[in-house]
Amino acid sequence: MTPILSHDWFDRPVPDNVRIGAGSWLHSAYAFLHNCSERPCALSVGRNTGIYQGSFFELGPQGEVRIGDYCTLVGVIIACNGPVLIGSYVFLAHEVVIADHFAAVPWRRGADSICPGPQAEPSVVLGDDVWVGARATLLKGARVGSGAIVGAGTVVDFEVPPGAVVAGNPARIVRRAHA
Amino acid sequence: MDSKEITGEWDYSSLPANVLLGPGCFIERKESFRRFRSTRDPGLRLGANVIVHTWAEFSVEPEGQITIGDDSVLVGPVFMCAERISLGRRVVISYQVTIADSDFHPLDRAARRRDAIANAHGGDARLRPPLETRPVVIEDDVWIGIGAIVLKGVRVGRGARIAAGAVVTRDVPEGAWVAGNPARATDAETAS
Repeated sequence: MTPILSHDWFDRPVPDNVRIGAGSWLHSAYAFLHNCSERPCALSVGRNTGIYQGSFFELGPQGEVRIGDYCTLVGVIIACNGPVLIGSYVFLAHEVVIADHFAAVPWRRGADSICPGPQAEPSVVLGDDVWVGARATLLKGARVGSGAIVGAGTVVDFEVPPGAVVAGNPARIVRRAHA
Repeated sequence: MDSKEITGEWDYSSLPANVLLGPGCFIERKESFRRFRSTRDPGLRLGANVIVHTWAEFSVEPEGQITIGDDSVLVGPVFMCAERISLGRRVVISYQVTIADSDFHPLDRAARRRDAIANAHGGDARLRPPLETRPVVIEDDVWIGIGAIVLKGVRVGRGARIAAGAVVTRDVPEGAWVAGNPARATDAETAS
């Protein structure tokens, strides 16, 4: 059981299937406004990770987010119905969206969704030390290698090699890691 | 804060009288109307069963007018409306979208200077140069992706798809897919 956050202003509890590690910060149970995850663990967060105002976990029934240590989520919306794996030392800037569908909508219990059903593969995977710029969008299939950087406003639904920099819309790899 | 005001359980009859709601509408957050200043009647018309989620904002100038067709889902559109924005039926607008029917400031440099002074702290907003506006029309069954921006004068044809992050500055034909900045025609495989 995760207790109600002592600093919270929202009068609903944090869902039971949310685990927040030592020294980590979650702004409010408001982040789970539309959460429909029925997984044993909808969200697990390591230590010393900050999840700040403007972040929302809009998870479908099979949605499941794992976040490592020392991450900063300035205000990210995650709208997925499968696993989302985020490493450690990851920085996600303002208004970043991670979603299964290019026109994702919140899950509503008992309603049809344009979002796809559950899948075996993770929706999105971010390695360690990844930085994602403001208003970037990470869609299903995005695999961002460790140390890579996603530029502001860039839409990624493909594999970004470790250490690379991807930017622009349409996205292109503007720098590769030194061998 | 009263959480009813952010979970759709507030009294919709407290909306301005020129906001017309069809049956079965859901408006999650009262603050979506914070910048609604339309004096038109109606200033906003929502059809039946329209869902308006937390992030939607109706930023409407006194002469602005917005209509939304039946069964549309508005997740996170910021409507910046000085004249007219109309959406058809079953339109889906995802997170972090902006739709504007004006640039809201002149492009000519001297006029921009007058606009800046009139808009500045302590300025007289009545001295602003007139806005150029061109209506935006989104037809039935259009889906607008995450973070897309649709600018003034654009008509998006029936059933078109706007990819995530697209900046739409020109008309989109019926059934087309567009992506990128500026938005260009693409195929469904690339865009979705």
